[in-house]
Amino acid sequence: MGVMSPKARQMGSADAPLPDACDVAIIGGGIMGLATAYELAVTSKLSVVVLEKSYLVSGASGRNGGGVRMQFGDADNVALMMQSIEICRSLAQQLQINLWFRQGGYLFLARTEEGQRRLERNAKIHKEMGAPTRLLSGAEALEIVPQLHVEGVRLAAFNPEDGVVFPWPFVWGYAGQAQRRGVVIRTHTAVSDVTAAGEGLRLSLSTGESITAGRVVNATGAWSIELNHRLGIVLPNHPHRHEIMSSEPLKPFLDPLVADLATGLYFSQSTRGEIVAGITMPADPPHEGDGPPPIELDSSRNFLSRMSKVLVQVMPLTGSLKVLRQWAGPYDVSPDGDAIVGPSPGLPNFYQVCGFTGHGFMMAPAVGKLLAAHLAHGKAHPMLERWRPSRFADGTSTRREDMIIG
Amino acid sequence: MTDSGSSWLTRAEPARVGIHLDGEGPLPVGGADTVTLGLLDHGHVETITSAKYRRARGPYCLTGDCGTCLVRIDGRPNQRACLTRVRDGMRIGTQNKLIRAAPDPTRLVDKFIGTMDHHHFLVRPRVVNQAMQAVARELTGFGSLPDHPPDGASAHEVSAPDVLVVGAGPAGRAAAQVLGGSQLDILWIDRGLDSPTAGGLRCRGQTGVFAAYRREGIWAAMTDDGTRPPTLHTIRPRHVLLCVGARPPTIPLPNNDLPGIVAARGLLRQLRRVDATLAAKCIVIGEGETAQRAATRLGARCIAPSRVTRLEGSTRVEEVVTTDGTLEVQLVAFAPTAAAAHDLPRQAGAKLRFDGTGFATVRDDDGRCVTEGPWQVWAAGEVAGVMSDAGAADDARRVAAALLTAAQEKR
Amino acid sequence: MPKRTFVCRCEDVTLAEIDHAIGLGMTKIEELKRYTGLGTGPCQGKECVGGLAALLCARGLADPDRVQPFTARPPTEPVTFGALAAAGDDE
Repeated sequence: MGVMSPKARQMGSADAPLPDACDVAIIGGGIMGLATAYELAVTSKLSVVVLEKSYLVSGASGRNGGGVRMQFGDADNVALMMQSIEICRSLAQQLQINLWFRQGGYLFLARTEEGQRRLERNAKIHKEMGAPTRLLSGAEALEIVPQLHVEGVRLAAFNPEDGVVFPWPFVWGYAGQAQRRGVVIRTHTAVSDVTAAGEGLRLSLSTGESITAGRVVNATGAWSIELNHRLGIVLPNHPHRHEIMSSEPLKPFLDPLVADLATGLYFSQSTRGEIVAGITMPADPPHEGDGPPPIELDSSRNFLSRMSKVLVQVMPLTGSLKVLRQWAGPYDVSPDGDAIVGPSPGLPNFYQVCGFTGHGFMMAPAVGKLLAAHLAHGKAHPMLERWRPSRFADGTSTRREDMIIG
Repeated sequence: MTDSGSSWLTRAEPARVGIHLDGEGPLPVGGADTVTLGLLDHGHVETITSAKYRRARGPYCLTGDCGTCLVRIDGRPNQRACLTRVRDGMRIGTQNKLIRAAPDPTRLVDKFIGTMDHHHFLVRPRVVNQAMQAVARELTGFGSLPDHPPDGASAHEVSAPDVLVVGAGPAGRAAAQVLGGSQLDILWIDRGLDSPTAGGLRCRGQTGVFAAYRREGIWAAMTDDGTRPPTLHTIRPRHVLLCVGARPPTIPLPNNDLPGIVAARGLLRQLRRVDATLAAKCIVIGEGETAQRAATRLGARCIAPSRVTRLEGSTRVEEVVTTDGTLEVQLVAFAPTAAAAHDLPRQAGAKLRFDGTGFATVRDDDGRCVTEGPWQVWAAGEVAGVMSDAGAADDARRVAAALLTAAQEKR
Repeated sequence: MPKRTFVCRCEDVTLAEIDHAIGLGMTKIEELKRYTGLGTGPCQGKECVGGLAALLCARGLADPDRVQPFTARPPTEPVTFGALAAAGDDE
């Protein structure tokens, strides 16, 4: 039971044979690239190749905390995430893999007047859009998480349809199903150069091979910055080292993901029973010198201590529980908090799908669909207009989202 | 609950302390015993039920490395039984036994499900998938939340010694003797129960060094004696000497996870601590001189892994099935070649080489393994692949002497 | 009781599961760790990572001169939130 022939379940490999040419080449085997590849395979006849420089789940898709929420502060983002969560409900069956999507809700705690105002504003927006967010007092929040210390909590917001997932199987599931539908997924193969070739682009690969593609999608998250820099594409996103940790496995006690607005602490409990937690940390000093900022993934004691200090205040019973593992992943931060999606300035056949500022994983199921519809059928979407890469150069970039946690 | 009544140990000192297991007891144990050894004396070897296949598990390495000795102690979950000293009246609980009835019906998972790829298990239809996920969530996780928060805040000790020595096994003790005579500020840390002591060194027992953070230039450790809130240590050493030893891997034999299968090296160490010998019926599985010597000291037969077909038992090991027949046992001691403890050296920036069993730290002729960055790191003994006690001690003396010269020169 | 041979006892990973994952094309230590969960339990791979490397070398899937363990993430010993909270910021 549960086991079927291995060949039927392959999900990319280092020796997958590459064609000489394809319609769409996607650089980056993270969730964004693979969701797009899968949706292209389902909805079009385009030939698709995905190139991953390491193994699947080696990047940010394998390093995030797995939170999925519709509690954003901007109506467009709420709508997008409502769609993403709707997809997640039956995605395990579509992708034929367990995603451990559990809708335990997101519980936001506000301890300041400013935080309270944000939650009240959000609740109004959410109500208009049909998202079931409820405002709660501290005492009511205790009914959802009895172990919380709610003194000083002015207001809480709870949306029972938000939830948590186990990130890795999303990537494998999209990869497996895309591959079954003819997408070539080549791992351990980096793109070393991109040059014009007739109507399309030629990709030179680290293996010495090359492939020509009508259009290329840069879906490499924070690594897009370095790749764009090499190609002379100027975009303002930058990498941000975000740390996270998980605890020893505990019997289930925590249903929602809890987020403390004032400190940026967030924590949830995975299906395996681990507390997974992170917190907003001051940014690393800016990169000096030429070239793109490097992606740093070091762990620190300072993160553990800062996070623990807040966690034991918010939930004192955690004081004698133990951290088992910590790691870091790169946020791909866009200066206005909005993603950067669409044709690159100066290189229109080279699409960007980056700058998701820590929300890429949860948005990917919806983004994969709208981007595939655009690539395959030229379908417009209001988010694509909002996310267009040219907004920075033409001065129309505006910040609209303030619910960025961690 | 099995209580053989008869003791598995022969002790020099009588058992005078009483502990409770899953509400029963008191069980008399030795005052210096670890929780694991005290329970083992009474034939209790099961600590947790595994999350996926719902199999009984017990302590294996007996030195706090392996992760399956986790029990609930006085209201705190996931305490390492092998690194915790007994206290009179201590209440110990096995973990993740969802249903206390015997036999536990969730154990049917093991009986009826073969090799499980949990990623593809019961994915469809959705309603079944959701039910499976709900059940799976209940079966995972070891301990439940603590009964109460810690009794007060933890302390934080900050220091910047000339030398940090980690480990008090044969290599660490030999190194400490060499370093003890110097004028340097030396901090010596070991996570075992018995505090290391040496003249001229600051010693911290029951203290686990848990990370080398190159970004911050610090080493971090925690002291936990089980009675007070643990103390955090932030250490900024100039030199670090790693004598962190090696760990017993498992031996890939069918049912190698049964409670009652323990590592010979850990068992011998536990017995030596309290001056006890083994009275239980035991078989050593291993080959070579180390395994033979362990068998002699445990009064056991030694059998090569290649002659063992499988291990048998339901919630504890009961039989060793060999190519020559079946042997009844109470305990099985695995004596594999130990694997160097590679994680701290790797975090500190050392290079590692695979030696067929584990990853030994690569050093220069003097014993240095990290020369660039905030500290110089040295390695000696098993961690560097020197696997005999005497050899590790000699190696550590040599490395400590070189370290001393370097530390005094650059002071 | 079925006869299972365990590579990782913390996360219930058997030899048969490793073979299954290898059949899916996962041959690197980091990939096998993620797919099977090996080394992600309470011991964080202290007991199993050497055994996995030996197995991959024996099958010709890893080169004994080059094989490395998966990243040794801190903490190498479990550490309590309460103790970590004792440090001030940026100490």
